[in-house]
Amino acid sequence: MTIGGPGAVGPDVNAVSTSLDAPAALSARPGFAEVAGEQLDAVYRYLVYLTGDRAAAEDLAAETFEKAFRSWRRFDPRRGSPRTWLCRIARTVAIDWFRAETRRRRREETYARELAVTTDDIGFGEGLSAPLERALRELSPAEREVVALRVLLELDGPSAARVLGISQTACSTRLSRALRRLEERMSDVRD
Amino acid sequence: MSATDVIGIERLEALLRGDAPRTPEESARNALLSELRAATLRAPEALRERVLATAPARRRLALPRPSRRLALVVVPAALGLAVAAALVHGFAGSNAKPLAHRGSPQTVQSLQAIKAQPPVYGVAVGSGGGADTAIPSATSGLQAQLPSVGNSGRLQHTEASLQVRVPDVSRLSAATSAATRIATSLGGYAQSVVYRTPQSGGGASYIELRVPAQNVRAALAKLGALGSLVSQQVSVQDLQHDLAVESAQIAQLRRTVAALQKALHNPALPDAQRVLLQIKLAETKRSLAQRLHARTGTVASGTTARISLVLSTEKSIVPVVHHRGRLGRMLHSAVGFLGLEGTIALYALIVAGPLLLAAALIWGLARLRRRRDEQRLLTA
Repeated sequence: MTIGGPGAVGPDVNAVSTSLDAPAALSARPGFAEVAGEQLDAVYRYLVYLTGDRAAAEDLAAETFEKAFRSWRRFDPRRGSPRTWLCRIARTVAIDWFRAETRRRRREETYARELAVTTDDIGFGEGLSAPLERALRELSPAEREVVALRVLLELDGPSAARVLGISQTACSTRLSRALRRLEERMSDVRD
Repeated sequence: MSATDVIGIERLEALLRGDAPRTPEESARNALLSELRAATLRAPEALRERVLATAPARRRLALPRPSRRLALVVVPAALGLAVAAALVHGFAGSNAKPLAHRGSPQTVQSLQAIKAQPPVYGVAVGSGGGADTAIPSATSGLQAQLPSVGNSGRLQHTEASLQVRVPDVSRLSAATSAATRIATSLGGYAQSVVYRTPQSGGGASYIELRVPAQNVRAALAKLGALGSLVSQQVSVQDLQHDLAVESAQIAQLRRTVAALQKALHNPALPDAQRVLLQIKLAETKRSLAQRLHARTGTVASGTTARISLVLSTEKSIVPVVHHRGRLGRMLHSAVGFLGLEGTIALYALIVAGPLLLAAALIWGLARLRRRRDEQRLLTA
């Protein structure tokens, strides 16, 4: 499955079952393998945007699905879509990774930091223009994260806000600011 | 001017939903969104295989987590359980009749049934259905037929009911007033007076009197003389044994209260045990209060006699019974038990409330700090 245009995202991205009938909810619950197959690309892309590192995103995606599998019994489709649930797990895993990276960079001082920043072969996706790639790289992880959730993964406002642990208004504001910065960076590069 | 100043959050949300751009700035923003969406990025096949190897092929059926709606069931169920427990307690406790009312059922029993119970002495005098053969000039004759009541030296509860016929409504009114005066003159009082004179003619007064036990004989004699005595019932119940039992129970409960209070003064007492002892102390104090109340009632019923007087102009008279039945006792006991449950719940809330509040505060602060750390980490 390829995540590309809006059509690539399933129509049930933000679908939340509102049925209160327990047997019906149980029968409508998808299997983990099915969910993993459908959502892997989305989670991977979210992690690439969040970390700016494909290799790390790969490891983190695997860790995300391992965690998700262990807690699959606790997943309640009535509370949110599988994508939202997986993104929340992925975010927790990624934040742990960020903490570990911060400690590692402190230990190795500037070498690793320079290495991470100057790596040009990250690539946030095939088909992006060079100015947009560069502008994305200059955004903070928090800004790239909200762009990934709202624009690429097409989560609605409440779902994205739930993943980020902030209010819906703050989520929209953060997205607006991130897009504005993207436009500014792109115009800077073009100039 | 930046793009954000031009494109508001509402318009940005509209663009995300697929609305057409209206301004050049919105067109530029829409183009940016389209380029972002058009880019593709697939998870590597190795990662896919790794992830799918983790997941079992078969569908696992798992129960969803209990939702908040469960609270809508659990809370009413708990309240219902508490009420049911109180009702069961009340039902079980209603078997034992309070002493203050013990004499009541016997009063309306037949003479034979009353005589079958040794501690209760009953006497009935009446016309035997011959309304025209009512006892004339009742005072002297009645006293001769009364047992020796109110002067035994023991605590006894006396209940009497009289049915007296008067010739007409005007005499009914006068006799009603006279009955209350008689009770007052003997150191008693009228507890209730119901006076009825329907349009169809005739009338009746239902009077509940309380008089000191030692004046029962005089009261019955004077009340019987208000008109033609139709019937009379007198029952006497010995309360001395009950009083002794209650006094012993009160003494025992007082000793228990003193022992519990002494134990609670021990500073080395563990908190859990202290709570248990405090609950037991509250229950014991409640029992003590009940016993004291019951003994007061016993003494009151032993020192004051109850006389139900019915004055009527009609031939047939239905006596009015005002006593609390088993249902009343059950409800009274259930309400008491509910009060105890509420006390325990309130006590638990008072003890656990500050701890829960502190825990919630710590949890909230930790959550806030974690959020800030995450934000700082991701915006660096």
